[in-house]
Amino acid sequence: MNVTIESVDGVSVALPAGRLDFGAAGPFQQQLEQAIAAKPKALVVDCNGLEYVSSAGLRVFLVAARAAKAAGIGFAVSDLKPTVKEVFDLTGFANVITICVERASALASVTKPA
Amino acid sequence: MSQATQELSADAGQLPAATAFLGEFWETADLPPALVFPFELALEEIFMNVVMHGSGGGQVPTVRLIIAADTDSITLTVADNGPAFDPLSLATPDIEADLEHRRIGGLGVHLVREMMDAVSYAREGGFNQLRMTKNLAPA
Repeated sequence: MNVTIESVDGVSVALPAGRLDFGAAGPFQQQLEQAIAAKPKALVVDCNGLEYVSSAGLRVFLVAARAAKAAGIGFAVSDLKPTVKEVFDLTGFANVITICVERASALASVTKPA
Repeated sequence: MSQATQELSADAGQLPAATAFLGEFWETADLPPALVFPFELALEEIFMNVVMHGSGGGQVPTVRLIIAADTDSITLTVADNGPAFDPLSLATPDIEADLEHRRIGGLGVHLVREMMDAVSYAREGGFNQLRMTKNLAPA
């Protein structure tokens, strides 16, 4: 899996592309943790290029959501493909992680004043 | 009816080979591409369960993958010769828990149950055998 990290008006946007399986989970987690450590305004994971996610991959989203919360920054996920969204829905992750249809709404949700 | 079998050691490094085996079968048997996702997921979840928990006896188990398709259904069997263990005996995870109380343990098996039409466990000939079936819609 390839991961690109962009900065959009102080918000860090991660773009994972490919398969988030057991093997990809560790490196992806490190990248998200590094992104959070750089103290952006918020972190958005744009999943437009994400083709596959397993429970090992879900764990990374959980760890990142907790780390963002601990750092006091917003966290949202956007652009889930139907198969990936099904995994989020079936595990109830959609209830504990902010999921937006597209990146623009994710950026709006993490940057709105509390 | 088409069928394929592959044996691998229960090692995390073998996961790509296991996934590739499934992909090749899908192409050869000309199966619906939309159905490869639940099987790839089920394969990873069950294979990784064996990798993580199957070496208790001090020996790395052998995993035997059997995929079979006919006009009505597709069945993946993941068999391993590790210590007897029924993953279906795991408690259903709390999928309502809040962010702080979420646990990943058990979610993989939960996903497999949700995505498959039938899942069954048997211990036969020294192997744990987990059979996972998805029915095909009539053409």
